Amino acid sequence: MRELDFHEDHGSNNNNSGHTNKTTLSSLAQFASADSHLQSQSLGSAAAGDHHQIFGSALPGIDPTLFVHHSEYGDVFLNNHDFSSLDLPHSFHNNLNSPNSAAVGGFDSVQDLIRAADCFDSNQFHLAHAILERLNQKLPSPAAAGGGGAFFFKEALQSLLTVSTRPPAYLSSWSEIVETIRAYRAFSGISPIPMFAHFTANQALLDALDGPSSPFIHVVDFDIGLGCQYSSFMRELAERGSVCKFGAPILRVTAVVTEEYAIETKLIRESLTQFAHELKLRFQIEFVLLRTFEALSFKSIRFVDGEKTAVLLSPAIFRRLSLTGGPTAFVSDLRRVGPSVVVFVDWEGWGDSSGTASFRRNFVNSLEFYSIMFESLEGGGAAAIGGGDWARKIEMLLMRPRILAAVEGCGRGAAPPWKEVFAGAGMWPIGWSQFADFQAETLLGKVQARGFYVAKRQAELVLCWHERPLIATSAWRC
Amino acid sequence: MYSALHSLPLDGHVDFQGSLDGTNLPGDACLVLTTDPKPRLRWTAELHERFIDAVTQLGGPDKATPKTIMRTMGVKGLTLYHLKSHLQKYRLGRQSCKESTESSKDVGIAASVAESQDTGSSASTSSRIAAQDLNDGYQVTEALRVQMEVQRRLHEQLEVQRRLQLRIEAQGKYLQSILEKACKALNDQAVATAGLEAAREELSELAIKVSNECQGMAPIDTIRMPSLSELAAALESKSASSNVPARIGDCSTESCLTSIGSPVSPMGMSPQAAAAMKKRSRSVFGNGDSLPLDGTTMRHEVEWMMNNMA
Repeated sequence: MRELDFHEDHGSNNNNSGHTNKTTLSSLAQFASADSHLQSQSLGSAAAGDHHQIFGSALPGIDPTLFVHHSEYGDVFLNNHDFSSLDLPHSFHNNLNSPNSAAVGGFDSVQDLIRAADCFDSNQFHLAHAILERLNQKLPSPAAAGGGGAFFFKEALQSLLTVSTRPPAYLSSWSEIVETIRAYRAFSGISPIPMFAHFTANQALLDALDGPSSPFIHVVDFDIGLGCQYSSFMRELAERGSVCKFGAPILRVTAVVTEEYAIETKLIRESLTQFAHELKLRFQIEFVLLRTFEALSFKSIRFVDGEKTAVLLSPAIFRRLSLTGGPTAFVSDLRRVGPSVVVFVDWEGWGDSSGTASFRRNFVNSLEFYSIMFESLEGGGAAAIGGGDWARKIEMLLMRPRILAAVEGCGRGAAPPWKEVFAGAGMWPIGWSQFADFQAETLLGKVQARGFYVAKRQAELVLCWHERPLIATSAWRC
Repeated sequence: MYSALHSLPLDGHVDFQGSLDGTNLPGDACLVLTTDPKPRLRWTAELHERFIDAVTQLGGPDKATPKTIMRTMGVKGLTLYHLKSHLQKYRLGRQSCKESTESSKDVGIAASVAESQDTGSSASTSSRIAAQDLNDGYQVTEALRVQMEVQRRLHEQLEVQRRLQLRIEAQGKYLQSILEKACKALNDQAVATAGLEAAREELSELAIKVSNECQGMAPIDTIRMPSLSELAAALESKSASSNVPARIGDCSTESCLTSIGSPVSPMGMSPQAAAAMKKRSRSVFGNGDSLPLDGTTMRHEVEWMMNNMA
């Protein structure tokens, strides 16, 4: 099990910016922001040769006003003359080196996106709109060059601009749901990501909730997805029940969902109830609207004395809360509930940071994260199985909504790192049992995808793709 | 074979170690044999060093075989049996080093071997023998301990594998079942939609008739009212059977109708459509513009009309 310490990596590259914890795309962003002005100077030439020219000779020809505009990045940019040392994600390297103008256009697109995001910070919405309009030609469809979901990010930014009022909630259609389930199943097959997230979270739950003290288990889940996690959880409970003389525990799940999830809710309820029935497990599931939760906090959830409670969290709920209230209040409420364990599954590459004051910074972080995610989909798994099509579908159906939500949350403003909020509320992280370690490693051994490995980072179990963290799970106790 | 090393007597040995002090062994190395009832080979430091040299030459303990080692070492009297057991112990000892983060054991063994080598020239013969015995003793207990550790880990890993397999299967089964349910719902909806199409046809004809009547300001409620409500009732029952739930907490006819239309336009009532609906509805009873025979607007017409008639 490797030990990761991300903080040490950043010292060299980001000596100025105190915010960023990521060395990869933010360096690119800094570089790209400086370069974007160069691009505007030489708009016509999109050939790769020009790009090499620009990258090779960094300083000459740079407009000095560039550094006035991007003053915080200027110094760092000056230090990074040698761009080959920048730890750019593979896709960008490929784009740089290939003579394909479409690939070069991809890199352009990223710069444009970042510039557009910048405009959000400076409230120059018209300019952002113009940039995105121009980008429509370069990124006409999701399959267009740019990779890393650049198209979806563009879409997300555009939706932020064009819709001033919240669009009315709509329910998914059955065909959408069927497609989504299929895509999710393919995702589980291609990539270890979903199973890693589920199994490590489950193991944390099992390790904490184990014991004959109370057979009643209550899980509060803020990000239930398709409810897949509970199938393996229930299987495990049934297994334990067969050996333990007390019988299997009684499981109750409360899931907090949005209104748009109405149809999926019904489906999940039916499926999980049937699954529990087949396992002869007593099971109950309730759904609480997110809106209700926002109003009433934990009073909206029914708690029963004598139950052992567990809470499953993800960045989504934190992001939602930052927009309305505050994570601090949420965590202190959470603490008052007194759960046996709180499991945080970081699907969004938040790492240590919860959000910065800059829209652009949050945007770039998301951009970077999803570019890695897409790479891992296309490079690791899909190639092995030959399912390039599935990668597209997964990106479209599963990643796109997340990207939209992430971009929407980019304006969430500065938030204290979630770990600090947890610690501040008096929670401390529980380590991982050896079983969890073994399980994670064995899982990777089973999956066909290559390039993944599991590492430990402080108290978290992290699934990484080629040095870059994708999912980080941690368990906390009050 | 080597289990009784601790108890080997330290005196009364005939050995040739006197000639084997110091650094490099000449090519014609001699073996050290004990003189107790069963002649056993004593693995002295030098011999062990030659062994290690040969093994590394051959590419490591996993690649080396007793036969090749024997040939490489070129020590007279060394048999395959000696080498087999020594190689096994060596491998186990190495494995235990791989497991532990510190390579202290390896260092320990190497150090003790090196120590006995270094002190070979000066220290007395008996203490060297003692060190060697202890060293071999350590190796054996170490090997046993390591074996137990290995077994324990194997067992745990098997357990992990088994449980993981169960979990993966559970998830697969669940995904399969949820997919089937969703497909079934989709099919049911398709069937219902086919029925709905027929209902819509009738409705559109009705709407035209109604609008025509309205131009003459004829009272609406006498004409076709039963049919409309009948059809609405039919629509409702169809929606119920197609498994499409209304929004949470809202079971009005509007939402049923809206959600039925979701395969046609998943956006439901988007602002533009709503505005258009209002515009068109007014026109039914106003100027009497010809109505487009679009399913969505028909539905909105019916809603509007029903709300007004209710």
